[in-house]
Amino acid sequence: MSEKISNRKKNTMYIPFLGDIAVSTGRTLLGIALGLLASAILIMISGVNPLAAYASLLNGAFGSPQAFSNVLVRASPLLLGGIAVSIGVKTGVWNTGIEGYMYIGAIGATLVGVHNLGLPPVLHILLCVLAAVILAGLWGAIPGYLRAYKGVNEVTSTIMLNYVAIYLTNWLVSDVTGLADKGAFYPMSLPLADSACLPILMKGTSLHPGPFLGIAVCLVFFFVINYTAFGYRTRMIGSNPFAAKYAGANSRRQIMTMIVLGAMIGGLSGAIETMGLKYRLYMDFVTGVGYESVAVALLAGGNPISVILAAFFFAALKAGGATMSIETGVASSMNSIIIAMCMLFVIGVGIVDSRRTRKVVSTDKTSSSTSKETEEA
Amino acid sequence: MSFSVIIDWLQATLRWSAPLIVVAFGEVFAERAGVINMGIEGIMMFGALTGVMGAFYFNSLWVALLITVLVGLVLGILVSFLTISRRANQVVTGLMMNMICLGATDTIFSLMPESRQTRVQTFPVIFPKVMQNIPVIGPLFFAQPISTWIALVIPFIGGYIMYRTRWGLNIRAVGDNPQSCATAGISVIRLKYQAVILSGIFAALGGCVLTLAEVGYFSAGGMTGGRGFIVMAACVVGGWDPIRTSLVCLIFGAADAAQLRMQSANSIIPYQFFQMLPYLVTIVALTLMVKKSRVPKTWGAAYDPKDV
Repeated sequence: MSEKISNRKKNTMYIPFLGDIAVSTGRTLLGIALGLLASAILIMISGVNPLAAYASLLNGAFGSPQAFSNVLVRASPLLLGGIAVSIGVKTGVWNTGIEGYMYIGAIGATLVGVHNLGLPPVLHILLCVLAAVILAGLWGAIPGYLRAYKGVNEVTSTIMLNYVAIYLTNWLVSDVTGLADKGAFYPMSLPLADSACLPILMKGTSLHPGPFLGIAVCLVFFFVINYTAFGYRTRMIGSNPFAAKYAGANSRRQIMTMIVLGAMIGGLSGAIETMGLKYRLYMDFVTGVGYESVAVALLAGGNPISVILAAFFFAALKAGGATMSIETGVASSMNSIIIAMCMLFVIGVGIVDSRRTRKVVSTDKTSSSTSKETEEA
Repeated sequence: MSFSVIIDWLQATLRWSAPLIVVAFGEVFAERAGVINMGIEGIMMFGALTGVMGAFYFNSLWVALLITVLVGLVLGILVSFLTISRRANQVVTGLMMNMICLGATDTIFSLMPESRQTRVQTFPVIFPKVMQNIPVIGPLFFAQPISTWIALVIPFIGGYIMYRTRWGLNIRAVGDNPQSCATAGISVIRLKYQAVILSGIFAALGGCVLTLAEVGYFSAGGMTGGRGFIVMAACVVGGWDPIRTSLVCLIFGAADAAQLRMQSANSIIPYQFFQMLPYLVTIVALTLMVKKSRVPKTWGAAYDPKDV
């Protein structure tokens, strides 16, 4: 279902002319501006001067090197989550399971990380990441298989699996001997061994290598999607499944691959959050990042380079928003309202105008019906 | 497992299915009209909050219901505007709606600390004590709040509207072939709006049932716990038929009720695994049934009047 519309969305990404870029960027910026305006009204209703609130937000995001390093830290899961969703969008699937993958990845990293294996840090870290990526990949294979071969809508299945992952984490960190820190005030795992923790890059902050890795992953996928045969197949399946089928591309396998790849990136993101920032596995440690990743991918239009910009925009909103809620007393949940408001306006303003490619996907059962529709059209 | 445990479980099944069935009532029509309203999760959350707020501040269930319907109406209009008039991606619109509703309910709830600890008035049980004491059917049916009874009746109303009225026929036709409908002089856009707004209102009411049927308070941070998504799965599994979808909701409700009971049963299996149960049941049901359902032909696709 979703793929049909996502193709329409994608039409705006096709961008053959500079004018189109200007129009779509302009629309996005207009949407963001309207979203910020609407949020300002909400902030005003909640009894705070919106100008003061936004000033505090800006200051909290860019006011000092520490503040900016905070933005970078918050950008890390958004970069990885955003790119994970984006590569799915390229094949026409909405991989909304980032939250679950992050939990599973963090579990993988923690399982390997809590034990002092006597390894040098580089090796231990790599081992943790490997465990995270493999576990998350296996986890992602479930919705991937269901979507590609059984036609189960990936949005529903991944969101259901998110809840399963959350409860699995709850159990691991509150009950399991050797992993859970049982006397703790809040369900959490034992601390990771020193050799499994990522280094801090800047004294006095919590800046870890995650954001730079995130940018690197985005760049890698930019090249993979745009300049390799694999990427070409991906884009072809996403934008014109019929042509792809005709050309002999195996769209089922490709869709499965993209969901699993997204899951692996999500797992990596969870591992980095654990090893670079929290140093333990906490219950409920990723609330909301899953949806925010979808917002990042949407704002970026699925384009890996734009993911970097979008992730930083949201990270600045989140980091600054935290400061804003401390300094001005706006509710801390206002953060996600601002993000969602911007997104709603971006969606509302950015109407899909071009209809160059016709929708349709051939993997699930909608294929038969939609193909008829296209033939009629 | 003793007999009384089973009765208790069945009773809870009805109670936990009621919100799902109410939400599904509207969602079935929206999806039949071709629009997947994924925002029902968030709208449900909003309804859960407004129900409690109405009951707390005005001490009247009627006011609570009125506010809830209004909120559902407004959010339904928002979703339909974005997905129908602006032809936005339905998945994305829904997810962003959920995000905004989660944030908004948390914010509003944090502004009213006084209602936090109080348990508000809940939907009344209308049958006399004598009837409630009848073995088996007494606790099972007559001790249920009025909301459960409504949930038991509306699927049949939904079935009647869907298959026996002109409006229902039009809704089904619009979802299957909007172009022909437009040719036949039916206003596709208006019907889609009506269906999606209906789903918004009933999603809010379903949230209201969730809080006001039994618990009587709201809790921040995602109180609906994915029930909106479960309803969407129920629509697929139930083949977008009001009655069958409600039966599927009963199954999911049963899983929910069983989960709560097993959690406190002190078994060797950790309770978190029982908490996963409703979600796992949903995935399994989807996998088994998805091929058998007949999808509305333009399910999830935007309708462009210029398309021929």
